Amino acid sequence: MSAATAERRMLLLNDIDEPGLATREVYERRGGYESLRKALSMEPEALLTELKDSGLRGRGGAGFAMGTKVSFLPKGAAQKYLVCNADESEPGTFKDRELMQKCPHMLIEGIAIATWAAGISRAFIYIRGEYVLQADILDAALAEAREAGYVGQNILGSEHSLSLVVHRGAGAYICGEETGLLDSLEGKRGNPRLKPPFPAINGLYQGPTLINNVETLSTVPSIVKMGGEAYASLGTETSKGTKLVSISGHVQRPGNYEIELGIPSREIIYDLAGGPADGRQVKCWFPGGSSSPVLTGDDLDIPYDFDSLAKAGTMLGSGAIIVVDDSTPILDVALKTAKFYRHESCGKCTPCREGTNWTVKMLERIAAGEATPMDLDIMASVCTNIIGNCLCVLGDAMAMPIGSMIAKFRGEFEQSIEQARLAAEGALV
Amino acid sequence: MSGFASGWDQATDRDKLPAEIPSPDQVEVPAALRQEIEGHMSLYPDPTSAALPALAAAQRVHGWCSPEAIEQVACVMQVTPASLAAVATFYDMLETEPVGRHSVYVCTNISCSLRGADALLDAVKAAAEGDGELNVRAFECLGACDIAPMASVDGVYVGPLAIEDVPQLLDDVRSGRPVLPEKQLARMLVADPAANSQQYPSHPVQSVDNEGQRR
Amino acid sequence: MPRPNPRMITFTIDGRETQAPESSMLVDAAKHGDVEIPVFCYEPKLGGPVGACRMCLVEVEGIPKLQPGCATPVKDGMVVNTQSERVKEAQRGVVEFLLVNHPLDCPVCDKGGECPLQDISFGWGGGISRFVEPKRHFVKPVELSSKIAIDRERCILCYRCVRFSQDVSEDHQLVLLERGAHSYVATFDGHPYEAPFSGNIVELCPVGALTALPYRFKARPWDIEDAGTVCTLCPSQCNVTLTVRDEKVLRALARENPEVDDGWLCNRGRFVRDAIHGPQRVTEPMIRDGGVLRPTTWERALAEAAGALARAGEHSAALAGGGATNEEGFLLARILRERLGSPHIDSRPAGKLPLELHRALAEPSLQARVSDLEHAHAVLVLDCDPVRDMPIIDLRIRKGVRHKGVALAIASQEPGALDRRAAEVVRFAPGMGGVFAQALASALGDGAEVDRLAQQAGSDAQAVRSLATLLAGTGAQDAAGQEPREVAIVWGEALASGEHGAAGVQALLTIAQRLGLAETSGAGLLEVPAEANGRGLREAGVLPNAGPGLRPSPEPGMDARSIARALAGGDLTALQLLQCDPLVDGYDRELWAPALERATTVIAHASTLTEGIAEHANVVFPAESHAEKEGTVVHPDGRIQRLRPVIGREGQTRAGWLVLADLAAQLGLDLGVNTGPEVTEQLAEAVPFYAGLTLQEIGPKGVRWQDRDAARRLHAERVAG
Repeated sequence: MSAATAERRMLLLNDIDEPGLATREVYERRGGYESLRKALSMEPEALLTELKDSGLRGRGGAGFAMGTKVSFLPKGAAQKYLVCNADESEPGTFKDRELMQKCPHMLIEGIAIATWAAGISRAFIYIRGEYVLQADILDAALAEAREAGYVGQNILGSEHSLSLVVHRGAGAYICGEETGLLDSLEGKRGNPRLKPPFPAINGLYQGPTLINNVETLSTVPSIVKMGGEAYASLGTETSKGTKLVSISGHVQRPGNYEIELGIPSREIIYDLAGGPADGRQVKCWFPGGSSSPVLTGDDLDIPYDFDSLAKAGTMLGSGAIIVVDDSTPILDVALKTAKFYRHESCGKCTPCREGTNWTVKMLERIAAGEATPMDLDIMASVCTNIIGNCLCVLGDAMAMPIGSMIAKFRGEFEQSIEQARLAAEGALV
Repeated sequence: MSGFASGWDQATDRDKLPAEIPSPDQVEVPAALRQEIEGHMSLYPDPTSAALPALAAAQRVHGWCSPEAIEQVACVMQVTPASLAAVATFYDMLETEPVGRHSVYVCTNISCSLRGADALLDAVKAAAEGDGELNVRAFECLGACDIAPMASVDGVYVGPLAIEDVPQLLDDVRSGRPVLPEKQLARMLVADPAANSQQYPSHPVQSVDNEGQRR
Repeated sequence: MPRPNPRMITFTIDGRETQAPESSMLVDAAKHGDVEIPVFCYEPKLGGPVGACRMCLVEVEGIPKLQPGCATPVKDGMVVNTQSERVKEAQRGVVEFLLVNHPLDCPVCDKGGECPLQDISFGWGGGISRFVEPKRHFVKPVELSSKIAIDRERCILCYRCVRFSQDVSEDHQLVLLERGAHSYVATFDGHPYEAPFSGNIVELCPVGALTALPYRFKARPWDIEDAGTVCTLCPSQCNVTLTVRDEKVLRALARENPEVDDGWLCNRGRFVRDAIHGPQRVTEPMIRDGGVLRPTTWERALAEAAGALARAGEHSAALAGGGATNEEGFLLARILRERLGSPHIDSRPAGKLPLELHRALAEPSLQARVSDLEHAHAVLVLDCDPVRDMPIIDLRIRKGVRHKGVALAIASQEPGALDRRAAEVVRFAPGMGGVFAQALASALGDGAEVDRLAQQAGSDAQAVRSLATLLAGTGAQDAAGQEPREVAIVWGEALASGEHGAAGVQALLTIAQRLGLAETSGAGLLEVPAEANGRGLREAGVLPNAGPGLRPSPEPGMDARSIARALAGGDLTALQLLQCDPLVDGYDRELWAPALERATTVIAHASTLTEGIAEHANVVFPAESHAEKEGTVVHPDGRIQRLRPVIGREGQTRAGWLVLADLAAQLGLDLGVNTGPEVTEQLAEAVPFYAGLTLQEIGPKGVRWQDRDAARRLHAERVAG
């Protein structure tokens, strides 16, 4: 049975287009905020155990176990913060947008629960500035939630108090990196910070800070409702639960799909999203946003989960599949990718700042017919000099996919070099 | 007044005073702007956190983060204008050169370009040529690859856009009408057929006020 | 607050076992094993590491990724490798990246020969670049300020200069604009980067991007000699290295002394060439002839001065100030007291303070060190503005507030640069610092007089009380009784001036007593004197009521204010000014203008012709700048520091001690000194608490006399007396 026809479990997208779901009234009618009531009746430790039992791994890109992350926060009275990372900017990713726009209360409820579990009283949603509609909707939902006592002093009569603010970014991919986000939220340039110290110890305003993605926090009410163990029964042994996948590029039905982790990638690309146009083949695909090393049409049977993709030398990342069919030269994809990272490099560390810039220039030289195959070796070497040597992962996020393209499509690159060279010579003659 | 991007080649002006934190009586700030910035500052344990929303507010008033706009924010926030210029020039949505009042961000990132975004951008630019009211820019991934190729028009997402949509799009912007109502992301239902247990109507259209400002 | 006192641990670097302080960063720990890890952005003076340049990547056993040595604390048993092929490749890679856009214009670059980028490229780079694309080009250099040029092509975006502006001087004027490869260092909208400490960025820059306009194209590293001395342009007495070419001082660099300057200089001390070689510099003896100062010979000038002093006799007086050394002050006082029979000598503009107060203030256990400002629980800045009066401690106070959470309180008569960083700011009316101190003392005691005294001082009584709460640490948020509360009080000499001066100092001592400063290590008082070597001159006996060592002088003399009145009234006739001009140096101008006008003879030892000298001196002896001088000075915290001549004396200038010795000889007094060090010896014999002090002991970084055994002599005398 394929994913398109199978009965798929919907935790996040369940009736997501029901009119009025963004309002408290409809959300509550559907059982919204019941999980918060349940959570507040539990001791934070018990709640934390549920979160750990669920095996929920962060949905932002790194895939770190959420419950474990919470347990890294120091105990005690120090002011701690939760920051919801809603700076969804990884190319190909638009799942958080759908959740915030259509079911904002689920996120707010998740934050109210997570902060109770972690002993946090101040939280921020850092939403990318481009998401104007979604931020407006969140603001409206937050006002409703405050009015109903789901956010604020002594939530529902409990000891839990929470101040929550929606903070709008202003257009910088790097602010999706958690420490860049913290600097940005502090009103600075969004430069990533050196780690350690990790945000759980020294984060926002130097206080212990829990940072979670929108999808992660939106999943929390479901976990509380169904119980950690029941949630963990979904998905695979190491990739539990359901996951939103954003699929785009050369597919016939681009959009968000909720899958159980572990299904074959082919089912997502072909059965759900319809695959490339008739007569076209998958040339390559990014399995987890543009930062993930590309896979080819031969890799479509790899199960879509954290570990299988890691074993294939790439990553699940943000859960964004970008499909490129055989009508597009790999050089174009590489150039788009590299230019994006050059534009978004914050400039703080050397390999990323200079390496992304240099890579773009080399790719442009190929396109201009001024390169030789040796330049591919230099480019690969530049990527090697970036990977693992940067302050944050942005440099790697360019070098890994570009490196993978050179490795997997070297022949095509060499052809492009030759063709462009001949074209340039022709133009000279 | 010039912007910041050309600053590479510029010497400082010895006739100017050093740009310290402006004293309140030195800079005149429109009352509404001051009030909005102070409102943002009150939301955070450290008021410096209000830099982005404050600069965005000043940009709505001045059309861009001009030196004058930055000085006003610096005066209210009691920080140096340089520290705000550093912030303003870091973020794509904060304009540090004079621009048109209406923004048209055309996404040209991977997914959109696979579906023709580069040609779309050229078409929009060509159609907007000479219109000082329009700020047409290529933009990195706007997070709406499901409606690729797409654009954000004064903050309203529209797509998938065909070249043929361009005249209507610009006409809508110029006349203050809702932009391409049928193509607004706000109306779209989720792609996953299993998500909705029944048929739901599409969502309402977004409109934009006359100033091209959404908030 | 507790100060770091790390234990030594053992780790292995490049196969060798090495001892290093626990938790020091690998780049520092490596030095203990004679291993250099290259860095660009790492500079501990700027605060914690940022890990931006990635030059210092090394291999740490057990960690898969290469680690930045600047940000990896060393642990016991750690095994570090800086020589593996992987490390070398990463380092070559970073150098190659840095040079992608660097113009490599070393032959025309001022930094050439002393450039970390050159050195590191040579030592760790691959020697070739595979970058064949065109490099970026900009207009260069352009002015960043009146003193600094910026060459943006050379900049490697290490962040040092902008971190200085943000995290050290906190002027927040210099920033990075734009993003990624487009980032560049700039100010706001073309405003110049003018700030009291801006020159430090030139020294911080690891490439030739920031250069000092006065030094550009003046010398190559192989043309110059560097020599260390002490800047005496203000009481900070920063340790400097002066760069000399052809007997000219071309620039000043910091000679880091953590107990004095923390490695920073102010712009006045840094851009020092004009103070030493400027057109205002006096380079030959002069006498007034027909109302005009005209050059003359030493013989004539000395004879003229000696004649006038001999005639004036006990109607002579003297003031010393500026960068006058202890030795010069000591000899000047000897001439007055031993030969002229005049006790009228002073080095304080403020007016006489009872000797017991001078002695009480000098009590060793009451002295705060500069480094205490960084570690104390609370710092009170009282009746002074550090950035104006003793600039370098402004940075130290900021450092404490920023990094150690020091609670800063300001009590002053006008707004100051540190107000924004203060937890408590209290104002008082001009000249009322002494009364304010009494109000504060009362607030720290039974509080009975707070309202009355605060009102008299023009202060808010409630603010005075809350200041007392902050200092005593008795507020609601303060955890009581955990550790002794360390409070450092930085106070300006202004407090001890005027009619309330003595009461103010008495109140200050009461405050110190009520806060237990003498009993608490890391706590104490730090006076900001009006003169650069104010402390040293007093200890050398340049006071109307004290001889060397703050011992009672046999015959009390007039203080500066009385001297002025006596000169104006004709009771005194001759005045010697040792590196001091009462019309410009913070003395009461209204008193001194008529005094100089009326004085029969004014003899000035001056290095520049300032107003009072130019208009009123009858004899001018050229005085040495701090670059030429030999001798000692005393830092406000009691650190005796040594001045060393780094250039030959300008023009006909002679050593200050020699001029005084010659003058004494003309007057018939043999001071018994034939060399500079002999004067220091005499001084050490005359001041009980300097006993046994030698120039060698003072060394390059100075020695606090309170830390020597002889310090007990002051204490013993006090108890006995």
